[in-house]
Amino acid sequence: MNLWPVIKLSWKNVWRNPMRSGVVVTAVILGTWAGIFTSAFMNGLSLQYIRNELENYTAHIQIHHASYNEEKLPSFYIQSVDSLIAEIENQPYVQSLTARSVVEGLASSPTNTFGVTVKGINVEKDTTVSSIYTYLTEGEFLGESTRNPVLIGQKLADRLNIRTRSRIVINFQDVEGNITAGAFRVAGIFDSPNSGFDESNVFVPKEDLNRLLGRENTVHEIAILVDDFKQAYTYAEQLRQSENIQVQAWGDLSPALRYTDSMLDFVLYIFMIIIVIALSFGIVNTMLMAVVERTQELGMLMAIGVNKARTFFMIMFETLFLTMVGVPAGLFLSWVAVTWAGNAGIDLSAFSQGLEMYGMSAMVHPELSAAYYGNIALLMIVATLLAAIYPSIKALKLNPVQALRKH
Amino acid sequence: MAIIEIQEITKIYNPEHVPVHALNGVNLEIEEGEFTAIVGPSGSGKTTLLNVIGGLDEPTDGKIFINGTDMFSLTEKELIDFRLNHIGFVFQAYNLIPVLTAKENVDFILQMQGRSKKEFEKRSRELLDLVGLEEKIDKRPSELSGGQQQRVAVARALSSKPDFVLADEPTASLDSTSTANLLDMMLKLNEEKQTTFIFSTHDQRVVDRARRVVTLVDGKVDTDERR
Repeated sequence: MNLWPVIKLSWKNVWRNPMRSGVVVTAVILGTWAGIFTSAFMNGLSLQYIRNELENYTAHIQIHHASYNEEKLPSFYIQSVDSLIAEIENQPYVQSLTARSVVEGLASSPTNTFGVTVKGINVEKDTTVSSIYTYLTEGEFLGESTRNPVLIGQKLADRLNIRTRSRIVINFQDVEGNITAGAFRVAGIFDSPNSGFDESNVFVPKEDLNRLLGRENTVHEIAILVDDFKQAYTYAEQLRQSENIQVQAWGDLSPALRYTDSMLDFVLYIFMIIIVIALSFGIVNTMLMAVVERTQELGMLMAIGVNKARTFFMIMFETLFLTMVGVPAGLFLSWVAVTWAGNAGIDLSAFSQGLEMYGMSAMVHPELSAAYYGNIALLMIVATLLAAIYPSIKALKLNPVQALRKH
Repeated sequence: MAIIEIQEITKIYNPEHVPVHALNGVNLEIEEGEFTAIVGPSGSGKTTLLNVIGGLDEPTDGKIFINGTDMFSLTEKELIDFRLNHIGFVFQAYNLIPVLTAKENVDFILQMQGRSKKEFEKRSRELLDLVGLEEKIDKRPSELSGGQQQRVAVARALSSKPDFVLADEPTASLDSTSTANLLDMMLKLNEEKQTTFIFSTHDQRVVDRARRVVTLVDGKVDTDERR
């Protein structure tokens, strides 16, 4: 079936009533722009939260001894760690990594005792993976001026009723399973958005912790940042080459974050679908008006030999063209706005206190993947085609004789 | 030779509720090259007869053969294709597609028939030349007078090289000069190209120039006068 004359006619019909088509095209442009920009804003806000969480606490990938996550015993340290680290560092996607010794212990002050995770860190390396030091509110970040320094969270400091320069004693098992203890002086106090983390994690120099663990170069955890955290699962698969270690991407380490990430995608599409449905009703209305206004003309076309399939496709193409004019313009405007706002950022400092409570920064950088733009274009086209079905069927039902008589 | 054979055509509207007998057993044969006016008072069945001949309306009873083809034995799709390829239509109003130029209106039918660009370019120019609108080929209907629009409609009706042209009150919206010009043009086509025209009309000026006048009264052929 030759549809070319019908396609040409549909295109010309779009511009038959420039004002009405212009209003619909403008609505499509604004709807697309508003939907995409708002999605990019929500996405930027949420990604920033996820990135902050990963860069402060979890990192993108963690490696442990294969049994470590079943029972966090100090004896489950990573074997041949130097060669493993060297190998990981050679991977092109690895941006930075840090090796930590980690034990579960009891931190005691003169007034209280509290269960904590003690992380032995290499100060220089850890700051390339974790941003927790940026939340330092008192003292210093495990500087060399203090012997056996410890960095603790504000919440733990409150529970133990201590301040900087106070001493605490931490009890834990060494790698042989013997109970050991160390006295540490509080070098600094951090206050991050995650008070649960602040309450249960303390940081000490790795050499100090390993000395107490009774084994030099003990590493329980390798935390890695990669070039794209969304690719962490793929990279983790590539690193999973030994039975003695367990490699976990951030989603496995923090299911809540993974849920946030997957829910975000879902919410963005739902949000966009709502906008598209609203636009579709506008398009249906316009096309129904066009069909009613052109009843006689449609009757004439049917009479002179435009068959039902051609009539159907004529209305479908007309509707599609109406959208196809607006969608690219809307996508382009969105891209310009998102790119500009993504670079410049949107300053929400008026709400900074509230945002920081949830681990978000006051400066939001909207961002959206190219795939989302493509999916929105596809969504608009599919919605338009669905919206065009009803007016097209309405046109098909016309009887040429009755249509020609209509006044 | 008869190109249209109408046998005992009956058309009843609302047969189950309030039956209206629009056509009551009409028998008629139209020969090739005839210039036939269907006349009669309002409600006599002129337009219904034209619609039935054109395959736009299905008769309640009876048969119509166009060059031997039983038109209403065709499927709906075949009937639409039959109209496209065998019948030219000129209506009283809403004849042309307003967004297309005069030439594009003529091209449209030829394109739907699947003619090549070279072929339809040539034919549509020839036809518009034939109806005296060679200067107006790029004008849209809104830029043409009523008479000129009807000429384009005739050109379009002829574009598919139909077996005959059906015209329902083609002059009803025209002034006397335009009516005379349109009739001159249609008669010229009839004489020179042997184009068969069948038209319904109330207009005495049209009736006066017809070569055959079929008068319908109450859905029946009352008189059939050849001149």
